[in-house]
Amino acid sequence: MQQGGGPDTEVTWEDQQNINKFGRLNNRFHELEDEIKIAKETNDNLEDASNELILTDEEVIRFQIGEVFAHVPKEEVEGRIEQMKEVTGQNLEKLEAEKDSVLAQMTELKKILYGKFKDSINLEED
Amino acid sequence: MASSSSSSSVAASPGLTERRGIPGAQFVEDVQTYLTQSGLDVNSALAFLQERLQQYKLVEMKLLAQQRDLQAKIPDIVKCLDVVATLQAKKGTGEGLITDFEVSEGIYSRARIGDTDSVCLWLGANVMLEYSCEEAATLLQKNLDNAKASLEVLVADLQFLRDQVTITQVTIARIYNWDVHQRRIRQVAAAKDT
Repeated sequence: MQQGGGPDTEVTWEDQQNINKFGRLNNRFHELEDEIKIAKETNDNLEDASNELILTDEEVIRFQIGEVFAHVPKEEVEGRIEQMKEVTGQNLEKLEAEKDSVLAQMTELKKILYGKFKDSINLEED
Repeated sequence: MASSSSSSSVAASPGLTERRGIPGAQFVEDVQTYLTQSGLDVNSALAFLQERLQQYKLVEMKLLAQQRDLQAKIPDIVKCLDVVATLQAKKGTGEGLITDFEVSEGIYSRARIGDTDSVCLWLGANVMLEYSCEEAATLLQKNLDNAKASLEVLVADLQFLRDQVTITQVTIARIYNWDVHQRRIRQVAAAKDT
């Protein structure tokens, strides 16, 4: 993303603040994409884990707590995994919602900035 | 957080002049006035701003490294809290906690952790202290809260820094464009005279 003012259009403090805000939102957008990717992977792993649980016939599962694998009865493991899935599910929803809001704000700012600077400014990803 | 205008600025720079050692970028209302008031010609002004930009980049790398460290530390503390909570939960039941732990890479061994009232916490710098489970949980929670607070401050610092970088980049572009514009005007004027 490059910014610039043409020789004929002056850049006011308000314009500068809009440009700054767009930069911040763009950064946040990329961070959110990474976080969403990680959250989705965690969710998938938990899904796989609970599927494995259904298939296995062992009564005691080695469940990782911290750095060690504790011997935990199957029901407790199922409960824990359900709880973890709920937490990551909520987290994922929150991240997606924030991403949508960030995108909406960026679209608004693009309209304003392109409106004033037209070709003198480039707000696209390269 | 006061907005102030330094004596050599063109107009009141709305915003902070500096934050935690990071100098704020001065916003330029009008390029002509800025150049006259600072007494710099176009090339010197551009060189000064480029140097500022490099300094900002250096600070940004440092802050990003700190942020990565903190972001790695936080899940570790959460894991420790998990373990302490599990031990506390097992305390009442009388049965021990059987765990498989890593002795060396790829080699695991089984251990039975009996009813225990205390845990040892690694504090860093080759120091390990024994705490009761409650004290350990409190200490770990406090560390977690501190880490999260530091991370928030760091993120705010990074945002401030990025804003200053953006302002500086825009100012560089404007001064450069202004210079091109001036040269064109001079060329047109020179052509008219001949």
